[in-house]
Amino acid sequence: MVMAPLLDVQNIGISFGGLKAVDGLSLSLGQGQLHGLIGPNGAGKTTCFNLLTGVYCADTGSITLGGQDLLGLKPFQITAAGMARTFQNIRLFPHLSVLDNVKVACHLRTKQTLAGAILRSRFVKDEEREIEQRCLNMLRRFDLVDRAHVAAGSLPYGDQRRLEIARALATQPKVLLLDEPAAGMNPREKIALKDLIRGVLSDFGVAVLLIEHDMGVVMGLCEHITVLDHGTVIATGSPGEIQSNEKVIEAYLGTAAEG
Amino acid sequence: MTDSARENISSPLGGEGREGGGSGDSQSIAPQTPPPTPSPKRRGATGLDYATPLESKVPLPRWAAPLIVVAIALLLQFTVRPLTGEYVERIVLDSGIAVILAVSLNIVNGYTGQFSIGHAAFFAIGGYTAAAITYYTSLLLWNDVSTAHFFTKTVIWLFATVIGGIVAAGAGWLVGLPSLRLKGDYLAIVTLGFGEIVRVLLQQTNGQLYSRDEVHAATLGQLIPPPIGGALGFINIPKVTLLFWAVLFAGLTLIVAWRLKRSTFGRSMIAIRENEIAAESMGVNVTRLKVWAFVIGAFFAGVAGSLAAHEMGQILTPGDAGFSKSFDVVIMVVLGGLGSISGATLAAILITVAGEWLRGPTHIWYVFVPLLILRLIFWPDKRAKAAIVWGIAIAAVEGIRSLALYEQIDLGEYRMIIFALVLILTMILRPGGLFGTTEVTDVLSMRRRLQEAQW
Repeated sequence: MVMAPLLDVQNIGISFGGLKAVDGLSLSLGQGQLHGLIGPNGAGKTTCFNLLTGVYCADTGSITLGGQDLLGLKPFQITAAGMARTFQNIRLFPHLSVLDNVKVACHLRTKQTLAGAILRSRFVKDEEREIEQRCLNMLRRFDLVDRAHVAAGSLPYGDQRRLEIARALATQPKVLLLDEPAAGMNPREKIALKDLIRGVLSDFGVAVLLIEHDMGVVMGLCEHITVLDHGTVIATGSPGEIQSNEKVIEAYLGTAAEG
Repeated sequence: MTDSARENISSPLGGEGREGGGSGDSQSIAPQTPPPTPSPKRRGATGLDYATPLESKVPLPRWAAPLIVVAIALLLQFTVRPLTGEYVERIVLDSGIAVILAVSLNIVNGYTGQFSIGHAAFFAIGGYTAAAITYYTSLLLWNDVSTAHFFTKTVIWLFATVIGGIVAAGAGWLVGLPSLRLKGDYLAIVTLGFGEIVRVLLQQTNGQLYSRDEVHAATLGQLIPPPIGGALGFINIPKVTLLFWAVLFAGLTLIVAWRLKRSTFGRSMIAIRENEIAAESMGVNVTRLKVWAFVIGAFFAGVAGSLAAHEMGQILTPGDAGFSKSFDVVIMVVLGGLGSISGATLAAILITVAGEWLRGPTHIWYVFVPLLILRLIFWPDKRAKAAIVWGIAIAAVEGIRSLALYEQIDLGEYRMIIFALVLILTMILRPGGLFGTTEVTDVLSMRRRLQEAQW
């Protein structure tokens, strides 16, 4: 590889008491790449996301994004550095309107000051208008614009998932972490989601790290896949390699019974 | 371009007024304006929290709101007393102070969702600080609190009010710090404890000095802790608070709260209330905004304290920092609806007026008939039912009051019980408070939208 990877994770690990939730995980992600992170339940995938986004602080290893060391930064600082995420169990701002949900994500790129906001200066007005325009465009891109003034909590499930992605993208990330975006979707929605993620990749120029249980989605989308089990990486490679990897099959299905 | 695009999306009525193309900003519409999106039908648009309400058609300049506030304050100053007398003026003034307290607590409780029940502590800190400044300045300059020209006293008082607000804000910052670590009940207990600490500290202060000579002769032991009355309370504070100032500061508080809510800071504060983890993941500096909410809320509580301290016939006592005062403000915010400025304002006025009304001579109709009218304007759908329910409620309450008057029972004594009952009823009937999380403007625009959807 000629170019240094955008996101470089080396050997990170964390343990809770005696349990090593993630141990020695490394992965790297280049510009525009779509990387899958799979593994059985409890393998440490979401813990890995929490480590990357600063919810937990890794005990060992290093995380760099575009050359910037992220280890030990707070979640909002990591988001400012260019890493945004969605949540496995949706975490929207339910009583805020769909539009305001996206607007909140613009907060860290705003330049207005508290005093300016209270005096309602011209700059603040202009910036608010610009944010609104940008967020409406984002919602338009995600087919949510006609729901812009509805409370986010009242959206149907699939729309909430899409809104989470739109909101994450509004922080203008370089790397987007999607935590089981296809969970609870029907087959048709899953196909739409695959198209959406591909579109996001090309339109927004982000790299995507995807946790997903649905093999159809993962195998159809990702060029690279990392398989986790019990907090350690048991395999990496292309979808084809992963599918034929014995360790992976063992982790998912168990070993063949004797006799 | 941005304007028209926004209107097309944000308001179903947006298209109509603009068809002519004669409006001022139509020249700026570039040819590549995106085609107007068809106005969507909105059904069941309940439970909304418009941190960003619809923009008004005619954007007012930013000094318009403060100017209107000044105009209203002047109007009330010169009309209320001549038309209705001193007693009503006093109630309006107290309502103004209550509005400041409720709206400022709403920034902490309602926006960021930090349950603070020590708001009265900031009120007392601001009040005591300002009173100490005005009282001792007057004493040193004129050896008396009432000889100076009213204008001079007011200037000193304004300065003292700002200082009082700043000191209270500093205290708010101090209390905001533990809020970085605590949530929910635990934070509530810390704020409660803070209020009690302030109350006890105020009790331990030195006795007041009553003349210039006493001040000059005072030993260090008399000055530290400050001579602000101790458990007996701080008396003889200059009387400078006019209705004008109460209304003016209430209006300013409302403007600040409103603009904050519509800025990226207010939105982010509300996002913290809604889901703290998500807010932080979206790049919101949660700790900083939480502390800011405390600081802003405490500042205005301090200003309210200064207004109250310099009111006619007021003395400051350590009890002003106590729990029961804090609880009054919490009731206002919860009754109005967490996060709703309109709700907090309405509830603050209601509770102040109700407290007076329970004491006797005012008539309930003054309060409830305008309320009923408001109710009918905002929720016309249940017109008949609402009228009946409210009619019965008014008759029942008025009946109880007449009975109490006849039996010579002072219902004012029972106000905490009555407010608690009102609160329980609110929990049952309107769990989100009178306004939920919405504002008056939202209700109006929602109604417009619903009508649009129906046609």
